[in-house]
Amino acid sequence: MDWKKFSIAFFAAFGFIFVFGFIWYGTLMQGAHREVSVLFRPKPDFPWLILGHIVMAFFLTLLCAKFVPAGGPGTCALLGLLVALVYVGAHLITFAVEPITAKILWGWNIGALIQFAVAGAIIGVIYKPTLPATVRA
Amino acid sequence: MKQFIIAFIAAFIFIVLWGLFFNGMVLKGASAQAQHLFRPREEIMSLFYWIIIGQAGLALAFVMIYASGFASGGIASGVLLGIMVEIFAVGARCTIYATQPFPAKLLVVVSIGGFIEMIVTGAIVGAIYKSKSAT
Repeated sequence: MDWKKFSIAFFAAFGFIFVFGFIWYGTLMQGAHREVSVLFRPKPDFPWLILGHIVMAFFLTLLCAKFVPAGGPGTCALLGLLVALVYVGAHLITFAVEPITAKILWGWNIGALIQFAVAGAIIGVIYKPTLPATVRA
Repeated sequence: MKQFIIAFIAAFIFIVLWGLFFNGMVLKGASAQAQHLFRPREEIMSLFYWIIIGQAGLALAFVMIYASGFASGGIASGVLLGIMVEIFAVGARCTIYATQPFPAKLLVVVSIGGFIEMIVTGAIVGAIYKSKSAT
């Protein structure tokens, strides 16, 4: 594994996931979240929020680096989309057990699909394993 | 394709059964502390089809990820994917803890259950779905 490219891809993915999350969930969906304010903390607990995003970015990068050997934005975006589908499944279950609104459910689902597909594409652009000399020639 | 469908159905059945066992038996006591964050039982039952659709989506996404890059390693690869997906989910749970007032104990118990669920799901999928290059 090319750790230098891996680290750059991880930091870029983390940056995107965090900024997108702030804009999508924290700003654009703020009104929807306020409709059921009892379900949310008045202010996010930032150390846990940052840790969560680090873990997600790291494992998305690891998934792309280890299991998409050829790299490339298209394939890694597809992997990101599949990971987001796991999330969509979890959100549907959450909708059944927590009194969130349909607006929140679909906001979270669309957000996850965009967030992880784009993060996958970013990783795919940055993390391209160097081909052996014989293959390059 | 036949293996894919069988792996999906097997994973889906396990996830449904595990969900019934884990949420019905283990989580019942742990979630009592945060009852105000959940729908009343009757309401959950009336929305139960969303749980089934969600579990089907989860199983489908898992098998698709496995088939797209893990399939050559068999059960070991399936288990590895299960562990990775669950660590990813733990990351998501950290963000849930950061924004929703769930007790930490509840999320820890859910994560332990999640590891068992995803590891067994991975083993099931790895045992059933074999890539052409591996066979």
